[in-house]
Amino acid sequence: MSGILRLLLNRLGISLIVLVGVSMLIFAIARIIPGDPARIALGPNANAEQIASLRAEMHLDASLPVQYGHFVADVLRGDLGMSLYTNRPVTQDIAQFLPATLELVFLAGFIMVAFGLPLGILAARHRGRWQDHLVRVIALLTVSAPGFVWAVILMLLFAFYLPLFPIAGRISDIYDIERTTGFLTIDTLLVGNWAAFGSAVHHLILPAIALSLSGIGQAARLTRANMVETYEKPYIEMAQAYGFFPSRIARSYAFKPSLIPSLTIIGLDFAAMLGNAFLVEAVFAWPGLSRYGVAVILRKDLNAIMGTVLIIAITFLIVNIIVDLMIAFLNPRIRYSTRGAS
Amino acid sequence: MSILHIKDLHLGFKTLTGHVDVLHGIDLDIAAGEKVALVGESGSGKSVTARIVLGLLQETRTARISGTVQFDGQDINAMSARDRAGLRGTEMSMIFQDPTSALNPMFTIGNQFTEVLRRRDPKLSKAASHARATTLLDEVAIPDPARVLGAYPFQLSGGMNQRVMIAMALANTPKLLLADEPGTALDVSVQAQTLTLIRDLVEQNGTSVLFISHNLGVVREFADRVYVIYRGNIVEDGPTDALFANPQHAYTRALMSAVPRITGAGLPEVPEVSDDFLAPRISHGGAL
Ligand SMILES: Nc1ncnc2c1ncn2[C@@H]1O[C@H](COP(=O)(O)OP(=O)(O)O)[C@@H](O)[C@H]1O
Ligand SMILES: [Mg+2]
Repeated sequence: MSGILRLLLNRLGISLIVLVGVSMLIFAIARIIPGDPARIALGPNANAEQIASLRAEMHLDASLPVQYGHFVADVLRGDLGMSLYTNRPVTQDIAQFLPATLELVFLAGFIMVAFGLPLGILAARHRGRWQDHLVRVIALLTVSAPGFVWAVILMLLFAFYLPLFPIAGRISDIYDIERTTGFLTIDTLLVGNWAAFGSAVHHLILPAIALSLSGIGQAARLTRANMVETYEKPYIEMAQAYGFFPSRIARSYAFKPSLIPSLTIIGLDFAAMLGNAFLVEAVFAWPGLSRYGVAVILRKDLNAIMGTVLIIAITFLIVNIIVDLMIAFLNPRIRYSTRGAS
Repeated sequence: MSILHIKDLHLGFKTLTGHVDVLHGIDLDIAAGEKVALVGESGSGKSVTARIVLGLLQETRTARISGTVQFDGQDINAMSARDRAGLRGTEMSMIFQDPTSALNPMFTIGNQFTEVLRRRDPKLSKAASHARATTLLDEVAIPDPARVLGAYPFQLSGGMNQRVMIAMALANTPKLLLADEPGTALDVSVQAQTLTLIRDLVEQNGTSVLFISHNLGVVREFADRVYVIYRGNIVEDGPTDALFANPQHAYTRALMSAVPRITGAGLPEVPEVSDDFLAPRISHGGAL
């Protein structure tokens, strides 16, 4: 257990350093790109005085290190500043838009794992046979186009020509659901509105599939590759020599050892979905953080940009820590990093 | 009664560059309770023979197998894959060269033992299997069975894993034990101990053994009868004493006069290849 705790502290320490680095980088870049944020915020009709006072309020006239100091102090107080675009605290914007994105990304991640791993296991178990070739074709097909292209294709096919799914949005307009968690699939259940829950899931399916497709292909190929390597190990021959069922050997004896190297990459793929979600959200008019991020970048809304990037970086780091912990829990060598027996 | 009867066994592999023949008509018999050694240099076809007996190579699509392999009166080659798998782990089992890499690193010894015991008795409870495994580990002189059952292979020494593997291989009282260069990966004294252990246990249980080795010293100690294999042909066979007292075939003589590279454990190095090595098989009799 102490091994896991040490790992957790180590990863938290590294994450903190990464976070500081990311915030400095984004802070610097946001200040360097041309255009005066105060002027943009106030619009074309503002006079020089108004602009000057807003600049002072935003500490824009101070040196970069001082500006960064103000920023860090504010963040530590839980204050990300006001968004010039929405005229609300950035924290409030994020609280509104982040759950929509996470809901999408979580479902997409789940689909990726639920389909990618079994496809990889199938291919590895029947390596060199038709099942393997079929999975290879599927994987190539899904990886061949980025998520937003799939989004457009799926939308045209299954929302437009064949109207099985809604074209846009998170839930039908007829429902007015009280936002508790911001996750509509959860909030609808909290108020016990099954019809609304159905609508939320219905809206979620196409964008989640679009976002997950290339991940499915990657997870399948990765699982297959690692498992094929594992199949060469003596302990697999031993399992075969004991007459264990091939399906059991695949799912347990060969899959588990090869999951560990796969998991790191799958974790990265999952985190990368946060980025890919930008365009998928755009296609499906999904009111998530990514659309918000694009909007505030185009308006040079500094506080909102910083806040969005920071939240995405934090989510990314949390996902990585969770993946590392899962690997540690799965791998007895790490779990028992202090030799329990000799 | 013959437990294993191999007659005119041929094996070839389809490769990218064409067809390679690996076994050219092997004959080999093992009687009930008999310990038979198959000796030959690396690449001569010992392991593939064992894998055919286990019915594993039959699942390899590139392998072409012909001839008779009768186990306990049933023709292995004529069986369905399912029936062959049914024999493995119950009627026959195998001990591997490197025990630590032959045990799965993701599961405890206890878990792996349960799986093995359930081959014979699918409904065996966790507790019953734990109790049975404890007894079996005790029989292979493992001092603290409970601790070993809770451990992962990488937490145990090679010698300890070797004992675990022997206990597993004999757990379901198989009729035939295949041992493919057991313990070659371990150091010499541990290797000697495990061979004594295997011999005592199989003699107790009346288990037949196909013992694969390239170490003549070990073979002489262990086996009742010996087959010498050279490039996929049996070149000489006979009772251990007769064969060692009076080796007839040029290859056997070369093997015996060759100096082992490392005392007691290494491959004897046959200095040169001679046409005489391809001379016909010489049998000292002794088989059923
Ligand atoms: N799956 C395979 N495909 C092609 N050739 C093989 C295969 N398995 C074994 N061989 C060849 O068969 C020969 C005998 O191998 P093996 O039985 O492992 O030798 P050893 O006597 O050292 O155990 C070797 O030349 C090896 O290269
Ligand atoms: Mg071999």
